Amino acid sequence: MHHVVLERWSRGTSALHRRDPRAKLTALVVFLVVVATAQHMLPQLTAALFLLLAATLLYARLPLWGALARTALVLPFSLVFLLVCWMAGDPARGLALVAKSYLSALAVLIVVSTTPLHALLRGMEMAGIPRFLLMVVQFLYRYLFVISEEAQHMTNAAAARGATFRGAVARGARFHAAAGALAVLFVRSYGRAAGIHSAMLARGFLGRFQPLHEDHFGWSDALFLSLASLAPVLVRIAVERV
Amino acid sequence: MHIPDGFLSTPVWATLDVAAAPAAALLVRRAQRDFDESKIPLLGVMGAFVFAAQMINFPVGIGTTGHLVGGALLAYTLGPAPASVVMCAILAIQALVFQDGGVLALGANVLNMAVFGVLAGYLPFYLWGGGKWRRSAIFVGGVFSVLTSAILALAELLLSGVKMPAMVLGISLALFLVSALLEGAITLTVVQALEAIQPNVIQRRTGGLPLLTGAVGAVAVLLGGVGVVFASTAPDGIWKLAAQTGIASRATTLLSTPLSNYHAAFLQGGWLPRASAGIAGIALVYVVCLVMARMAARRRSA
Repeated sequence: MHHVVLERWSRGTSALHRRDPRAKLTALVVFLVVVATAQHMLPQLTAALFLLLAATLLYARLPLWGALARTALVLPFSLVFLLVCWMAGDPARGLALVAKSYLSALAVLIVVSTTPLHALLRGMEMAGIPRFLLMVVQFLYRYLFVISEEAQHMTNAAAARGATFRGAVARGARFHAAAGALAVLFVRSYGRAAGIHSAMLARGFLGRFQPLHEDHFGWSDALFLSLASLAPVLVRIAVERV
Repeated sequence: MHIPDGFLSTPVWATLDVAAAPAAALLVRRAQRDFDESKIPLLGVMGAFVFAAQMINFPVGIGTTGHLVGGALLAYTLGPAPASVVMCAILAIQALVFQDGGVLALGANVLNMAVFGVLAGYLPFYLWGGGKWRRSAIFVGGVFSVLTSAILALAELLLSGVKMPAMVLGISLALFLVSALLEGAITLTVVQALEAIQPNVIQRRTGGLPLLTGAVGAVAVLLGGVGVVFASTAPDGIWKLAAQTGIASRATTLLSTPLSNYHAAFLQGGWLPRASAGIAGIALVYVVCLVMARMAARRRSA
């Protein structure tokens, strides 16, 4: 499954991987705001910021083409809106939507693929986001692939029993069969959650995850934060002044 | 309808982020009260279930399939506040790991889907889910949850200045309606299948309000949704209508309200004063409604 890619990328050892998650999150928000509020000279700004992100990808030793292709996941949605804006006689706005959404998604991808999700969530917790919500996110991510594979097995089993059969009568039957499969998946997930909770209690869970090492916001993180936040701002000022 | 970054104008995403933070915090606190920390794995695994449910396809028509969105189903099984928390977690994972929805637009997506989508989906169940019309409540809840989220997302895009030809707008509204009806049908069939194999997972509502109250609540949600779309496509439509019918000249002289023209007199120009005038107007309407309801209740009890 494609989730493995992010897990592999985020366990790299480049200088960007080693930075504190808080520094990376703050720099990400600055970059996103710079992109979201831009209104003038958009083609030049897009090109300049794209080069900045590509340089960051190389600096983090991530596969350039792989990352660019993965970010293209946002394009179907944006291209529909490009078409809609074109029909409304405003193609410039449509192109701006495509450029902005691609740049923002690439920036998010860089942060997520240089930081393991648990570290990212711990950074968010230290930034004041409720721990209850973040722990739900972490459990969701942990069991996402487990339950998805279970669902995949169920669809395979259904296909093996003739669920691809066509026709109006078969459609009604398939609708009810799919609902039944979802209900079974629901009950199994519910039961699995109870089992997980008992297992956690048996291992002495105290209501929070214990990190194996404390995060330390050092000088290099501070330097990175100031450089990474200044870079997009300076690029935009330079492009808009020239 | 996950809005990516770059689609919303700055006033829109900034306002929605500011509005979503306390709403999410409140819902997290509510969920934490009903559901102590021991239930965190349950919420996480149910979120994973909603993700996985996308893999099970429901046949719709010629060659097309649909899947469960899940906001209403979660609200019926876990309760509204925990369901909102689960949806928030899903949106966070989609934005971070799957590049589906933006990070700055997370506030907008959380409000559309996790807050208003889940609450609108729970409303019919809350209003008449205990009576003999229970099945219709479950169906309408599924419809409302998807319709509310989609209409809010559309309205936010229109407010941000994304222009849509009337035809595209019509087609997308029709598609939203079809997917909302599909969500209602899927939710109802899944709930029925669930009750057959494990009856105690669906929340029980005892009593329930009279059908009339339920109908009024449902109509209010629909009118609110339709009003949002009209208000965002044509903010001056009401004024145009008033001018055409000749009401405007009479009305302005008749009612020179303190918030006339939606500009508070003490604030000049820009979107900020208009927004504050709008909020003041909503507060005024709320107070008037509250007073009327109090009077009606007193008359009934007397």
